[in-house]
Amino acid sequence: MKILLQQLVIGISIGSIYALIASGYALVYSLLDFSNWAHGEVCMLGAYCCFMAVKVAQFPFWLSCVLGVGGAVAVSLFNERFTYRRIRSNGSPNMFLMIAAMGLSTTYQNLATVIWGGKFKQMPKVFSKSSLNVGGVFIGTTDLLCLALTVIVLVILLLIINKTRFGLHVRAVACAGRTAGILGVRIDRVIALVFMLAGALAGLAGILYGMKYNVYPTMGNVGLKAFIASVIGGLGSVPGAIVGAVLLGLIETVASGYISSGLRDLISFSLLILILLVRPAGLMGVDVQDKA
Amino acid sequence: MLNAFQEGVVVVVCVNLIAVLGMSVLTGFTRLFSFGNAGFMSIGAYTAAICSVQLRLPFPLAVLCGAAMAGFIAFLLGSLTIRLRGDYFLISCLGFGECVRVLFNYTKGLTGGANGYSGIPYRTTAAVAFFCAVLAFVIAWNFIHSKYGQSLSAIRENEVAAAANGIDVVRCKKMSFVFSAIYAGWAGGLYAHYLRHITPALFNLGKSSELIITTVLGGLGSLTGSVLGTLVVQLLPEFFRGLAEYRMLFYGIAVVLVILVRPAGLYGYREFSITGAVRFVRRLGKGDGQDG
Amino acid sequence: MADLLTLSNVSKAFGGVHAIDDFSLSLPEGAIQGLIGPNGAGKTTIFNTITGIYRADAGEIRFAGEDITAVQPHQAAQKGIARTFQNIRLFGNLSVLENVVIACNMHAGYHLADALLRLPAYRRAKAEAEEKARGFLEIVGLQDKAGERAASLPYGHQRKLEIARAMATGPRLLLLDEPAAGMNAEESRELVDFIFRLREQFAVTVLLIEHHMDVVTNLCERCTVLNFGRTLASGSMEEIRKNPEVVAAYLGGDEA
Repeated sequence: MKILLQQLVIGISIGSIYALIASGYALVYSLLDFSNWAHGEVCMLGAYCCFMAVKVAQFPFWLSCVLGVGGAVAVSLFNERFTYRRIRSNGSPNMFLMIAAMGLSTTYQNLATVIWGGKFKQMPKVFSKSSLNVGGVFIGTTDLLCLALTVIVLVILLLIINKTRFGLHVRAVACAGRTAGILGVRIDRVIALVFMLAGALAGLAGILYGMKYNVYPTMGNVGLKAFIASVIGGLGSVPGAIVGAVLLGLIETVASGYISSGLRDLISFSLLILILLVRPAGLMGVDVQDKA
Repeated sequence: MLNAFQEGVVVVVCVNLIAVLGMSVLTGFTRLFSFGNAGFMSIGAYTAAICSVQLRLPFPLAVLCGAAMAGFIAFLLGSLTIRLRGDYFLISCLGFGECVRVLFNYTKGLTGGANGYSGIPYRTTAAVAFFCAVLAFVIAWNFIHSKYGQSLSAIRENEVAAAANGIDVVRCKKMSFVFSAIYAGWAGGLYAHYLRHITPALFNLGKSSELIITTVLGGLGSLTGSVLGTLVVQLLPEFFRGLAEYRMLFYGIAVVLVILVRPAGLYGYREFSITGAVRFVRRLGKGDGQDG
Repeated sequence: MADLLTLSNVSKAFGGVHAIDDFSLSLPEGAIQGLIGPNGAGKTTIFNTITGIYRADAGEIRFAGEDITAVQPHQAAQKGIARTFQNIRLFGNLSVLENVVIACNMHAGYHLADALLRLPAYRRAKAEAEEKARGFLEIVGLQDKAGERAASLPYGHQRKLEIARAMATGPRLLLLDEPAAGMNAEESRELVDFIFRLREQFAVTVLLIEHHMDVVTNLCERCTVLNFGRTLASGSMEEIRKNPEVVAAYLGGDEA
């Protein structure tokens, strides 16, 4: 029982990192109807920025984190400004956005390998590796911090989307881009801001992930997990992405704890396919039909 | 006739060409994305290997079994997932590919697990590979120019209109999916009999994206473009051995540039033809720039 | 004459909105009938329900004596219902000829093995389909554009190509969704003649949605007026024109 509880906590904490990235996927998808495959790499580059700041430039840790998040925001904005926007404006099919994102993802991953090498880099030990003992259940401090931070950030995100003027604009563009444009919403600006927001979330996720494990060029593959999470939740739905992410985190930890860590991915992927068969547009997505 | 190095280059190019042709039919002509074709390649490779080592089947039959098995699995998977829309289909394929890899890693008794499967006889000579590649190209060409292939292009262009013209969209998509899986399986079977030792890691997600990258670079909706793409992607690193570590970096950048500058790829939506080339050269000679 | 198409009490709702509500229509073989009404009256929804893109919530649709309420779109086409779309849907990156060939393919009699091995049956059927397609291009006057990319055609030609493509499936019933949209008076007159010729040559029954009233008056024997998903009036053109409710709906009177 205690082991299960412990794993649930770990699962939720991993899930919360997925949630940070997945909500970025969902935000971008809701506006542009494409899966931003380069999002995982944004996360990776954010982690490297933070690492470089703290290890090479010897900045204090909090400043490095800010720089890491800032770096991720910059990369995300760069992708939008110089790639996606151009593809949108020349009227190519949506598929090309995804292919471009795939190309960017490959580019960044290999760029990181060329610059920093393939080795694992360790983030400084800011928090003690100690764990709290809550009624016999051991919870790592990093896990706990990670969880707390994520919850706060995600609550703020949901508030931004649902309560602010900017959030209203985002929802308007998501609903009916062109109409929103006619009604005076500056679409490109909203999209750019959303990319920055998504980048910030990804940067934070990258730093947390790097602290929990390591920093390495292919760590962007965590974006794949987040993508799966957002598919489970329903593409384009931020709450769906969060639910999907936590669910995926839980399934992964429980599967590796009770069945086999080798089969972890098999189980989560099979579950993904199963969910899609029952709900073809994810848990909270809407199945849109092509209107004749 | 050929030294070992040249022989290897020919085999690798031809084997990849077969897999890329399958991808081209699926992505270029039907606009369905599969990140699972490396999975079908591995199914073909392992099936063919087991057939020829354990069951002692002759080489052509073993490869045929591999291709058939890949096609059969694709048929089963497609029956479940082909109705999923856009990215949901894509992620289900991706999930499938990863499942296959994990499964081959896990079934040590049959496949040798992560250490791989060895003792496969060397049968795929340059001549065999070349013959297969030509055969694959001719069959794909006939398929694409038949009513079946035209239906696929129609679906790519406009699904609703395709259905309104009597095309059974679901059935055609499934056919395209199975076709591409058979090609992947065929390529896998040949590859196994060239390498003599195969591991699940050979057929990872990276391999799937390499296939897609090649298809995009060559040009969507063009079989001759796919040939060109394969030659570029497979041969360039052979000529620039010193730059091997930058290989994927270049491809990533190339994909982004192609999508930005020339979305139809090197040779998109049209096929290379001698008469066309002659006409083009003549027109250049005349310099009148008139469209014939 | 027997009825080719009958819709009995067909309803279709999206969410809570009744796009069509208890709609009935019978179309005799060989007729040219109009379907008019203000935007959002449910005209295109009726087309989509007939062709199987939407499944009717209630009611029954019969075509040539057969219940087709639950058919898939491609089955509707195979049974002999062809259509054009309000927002033209061509296969844009394919050539003009290929657009029509694809429609002809519905009747091409060869199998996968024939195609893969390039057997004579395949070559013959392929040549036939192309021949037939060229014939249809000639009918709409696009024979010179056969090699061009469909999306590169001017708007009027695209409309014609879409009709050629629909006719190439060899339909008994042709559904035209605003064929005269964007055409000037001269082009509209040509269109009217053209549709009459189609009926003569191919014995096709036509149901069309149109906003150009002159096209409807010149072309249709009978007409159904739709408003908010319900039939407002139905009858000969003369009756329709005199119907006070129709006049009110179109002129925005308060009885509607």
